[in-house]
Amino acid sequence: MLSSTAIATDTPDGLNYRLSADMLTAAQADSFRQAVALSKGIGDDRGFNHWAGIHGLPLPMYCQHHTILFLPWHRAYLYFFELSLQDRVGGVALPWWDWSSRPAEGSGIPSLYTQAEAGGATNPLLASPIPAAAQTASMDEGAPPTTTSRSPGAVDGLPTAAEVQEVLAAPNFLDFSQRVENLHDRVHVWVGGTMAEIPWAAYDPLFFAHHCMIDRLWALWQLEHPGDAPPAQTLPEALPPFNMTVAQTLAINSLGYEYAAARVTAPAGQ
Amino acid sequence: MPGAITVRLDAPAYEAGHAFRRADLYFHGVDHSWSSFEARVFLNHSDATEDTKLTPQQRYAGSFFVFGHGGCYGDEGHCDIPPSPVSPFDRRPAHQLTPTSKLVVVTRALDRLYKDGAPPAIHVTAVAVVRASAVAQPDHAANVLHFERVALLVYQ
Repeated sequence: MLSSTAIATDTPDGLNYRLSADMLTAAQADSFRQAVALSKGIGDDRGFNHWAGIHGLPLPMYCQHHTILFLPWHRAYLYFFELSLQDRVGGVALPWWDWSSRPAEGSGIPSLYTQAEAGGATNPLLASPIPAAAQTASMDEGAPPTTTSRSPGAVDGLPTAAEVQEVLAAPNFLDFSQRVENLHDRVHVWVGGTMAEIPWAAYDPLFFAHHCMIDRLWALWQLEHPGDAPPAQTLPEALPPFNMTVAQTLAINSLGYEYAAARVTAPAGQ
Repeated sequence: MPGAITVRLDAPAYEAGHAFRRADLYFHGVDHSWSSFEARVFLNHSDATEDTKLTPQQRYAGSFFVFGHGGCYGDEGHCDIPPSPVSPFDRRPAHQLTPTSKLVVVTRALDRLYKDGAPPAIHVTAVAVVRASAVAQPDHAANVLHFERVALLVYQ
């Protein structure tokens, strides 16, 4: 008999299934919140602030934007950050925020990231303090933020499913990368607050759900364009500070995760 | 007006009777060192402002968005882009603030323009819009938009 199973994040094939933030079970949501909360409680280079700071402040800002390394660098970033969460709670996987789905109500941001409290405690996915080391003022701006913030625009300002389909139809990697980064930039601007500021964006846990969506779109595009990769000369390039090359980011299963929306298994002979 | 830049392009040669398969408008040398912004692109509507409706009637063609670096957080010179590698053996990656390229697919907007009659020129107007965020302010729109050139590629 064929059995359809709800996907657990800790799967028999060893892959972690990254799920939509709107589709997590209560137990999966609890585990993910617990992992982030525990990570936030660590002040050294295993903790949340360390990982957020890799993207922005304190200097150096390692993130890659508006370059051909945008997709590979952020895939590596999510991979190592997810592993750091699995150090805290085994089997957790990053959820993705499908900003192209139109909720009947609400702000457009999944409730997982907007609830003030969860399980009787402050929701660690709602906001984060900005550590003192990252409260650097730019040479031409005012005081830096002390905590993350959001000021989302109208829901109809988010990319639509049709716009996502247009991007997924891009015929080659360069075209796809450029167009999906434009959607990415648009959502950062749409969320506003610290999410619209490269130096502090990654201190908001929503950042990782947004980037997981971008990574998922790349994975979906790869399924339709097998073998189409970044230009060959970029493949041996390192992605600092990670000990990973562009080529090593291309196969998500080799990184231990998957975006399949459903999995059906059956033992042989039945 | 501040925050808007108009560039004149010769109208591309176009074989009448064939629809555009695709038209790509590239903005090259786009600065992304400061506040995040949206650049709204209009064709042959040089008076467009951030209050102009984003409709075909207003010849709105699409937008590109820039997730900006937010300013310079280092000492003086930290965000200066080196003009070239210091040696032939300089394998360091390009400076993070190296200007980028942005693409707006304008197929439908250009098609509409030609259906109104082949124009002698295409005036590309980009209007910057900055939403208030943690640090950025809407008045940054007056100074945030900088690019080096525009290119239109048309496929039939």
